[in-house]
Amino acid sequence: MITQEKYRTRVKELLANNSVKMVIGYKQGSTADRRRPLFVRSFEEADELVLDSNCIGNLAGYLVTEGLLSDEKRVGIFLRPEGIRSINILAAESQLNTEQIIIFGFDTSGREVKALQGEQAGDFSGLIDSLKEKPPEKSSDALLYRIDQMNTEERFAFWKDEFSRCIKCYACRQACPMCYCRRCIVDSNQPQWINTSSHTLGNFEWNIVRAFHLAGRCVGCGNCDRACPVNIPLRFINARMAQEVFESFDHYAGTSQTQEPVLASFNKDDSETFIL
Amino acid sequence: MSEPFEPKIIAFVCTYCTYAGADLAGTSRLKYAPNVRIVRLPCTGRISPMFILKALQKGADGVLVSGCHPGDCHFTHGNYHARRRWMVFRSLLDFLGISPERVKFSWISAAEGGKFADLINSVTEDIRKLGPFDQYKELIKETETPATL
Ligand code: SF4
Ligand code: SF4
Repeated sequence: MITQEKYRTRVKELLANNSVKMVIGYKQGSTADRRRPLFVRSFEEADELVLDSNCIGNLAGYLVTEGLLSDEKRVGIFLRPEGIRSINILAAESQLNTEQIIIFGFDTSGREVKALQGEQAGDFSGLIDSLKEKPPEKSSDALLYRIDQMNTEERFAFWKDEFSRCIKCYACRQACPMCYCRRCIVDSNQPQWINTSSHTLGNFEWNIVRAFHLAGRCVGCGNCDRACPVNIPLRFINARMAQEVFESFDHYAGTSQTQEPVLASFNKDDSETFIL
Repeated sequence: MSEPFEPKIIAFVCTYCTYAGADLAGTSRLKYAPNVRIVRLPCTGRISPMFILKALQKGADGVLVSGCHPGDCHFTHGNYHARRRWMVFRSLLDFLGISPERVKFSWISAAEGGKFADLINSVTEDIRKLGPFDQYKELIKETETPATL
């Protein structure tokens, strides 16, 4: 509550002196514990802002909405640490200029909400570095543990079962702040790489491709996983990719706006034990 | 006795090293397993993981990707980029249940005709042992059967 009030006041302040043209935050959603995005342009709207432990969605993706930042005016946004990492990646990939972004950083533990110190992406580098020190969690989840224990055939069968439910709605893509391509590979038809019918084969291919395109870019915000209408545990796949780039290339996505994208760079001494 | 299983293997190779190595194997009259269909590309950096998926989608039992040794790339660092990508892609396939044994990677230079012939033989043998990629073929078959209501 205290943080919410503090941020509401700050939002009004910034709007009043024209420092931002809009602030992207959260408001009450369709049920008591749901929050939905709010685009604040006026004082009245600022009063609708909600900030509590139910604010879980990563809002960073809205920043790359076509035309939003092209007038070079500033936009404020409520972000958790993962969201701030998304901003760094988007900047590193030349999708936005962090100087245009005013961050209302927050994090939650239990029902507590605490404000994060800073307003510019660069202000949070210490915090993000400390997150990197905590290596990605391994098999803390019972289901993930089970997948890890399976042999290849069992794993294939497991994922086949999961992907057979995919309806190719692409909600995972739409919800992901890192999926900003104007033309997704799954939409191109000359050549058509991925079977577009929602047969399991095409679903398999779609999910492989999306995970690969997010390797070293996913921040683990969980937007995709929550968006999936058939509850495919997408978080495991993306987390595995994050773990792989961390272990192989010491890459933790989104530490700074000058970080080199991991799959667009290389080191001459990269491991190649698997190459014959 | 049933016939031994003859796997279909697609090889994506770069034109400057591995393709030239394959050429050398041929001009040296080295014999190797006829199971591999070679697709020539300008550089390993041009070999997108999509190609691997496409090969599987079209019914391949195994895929081989091969290019210049580190330091030898015609475009100086295409193979370094490729190496990183493969590392990540392999771990993804493994996690989703597509055995990394079916997707192999190698460095073969233009001078290594012998290595090319040996590698094709050993890869063919390995994939023969794994057998046809039935799990994937089932998925392919499903796309070919008309939809039922
Ligand atoms: S892949 Fe999912 S968890 Fe990762 S950044 Fe995108 S939406 Fe968030
Ligand atoms: S959100 Fe789920 S059902 Fe929709 S395309 Fe993604 S994986 Fe498939």
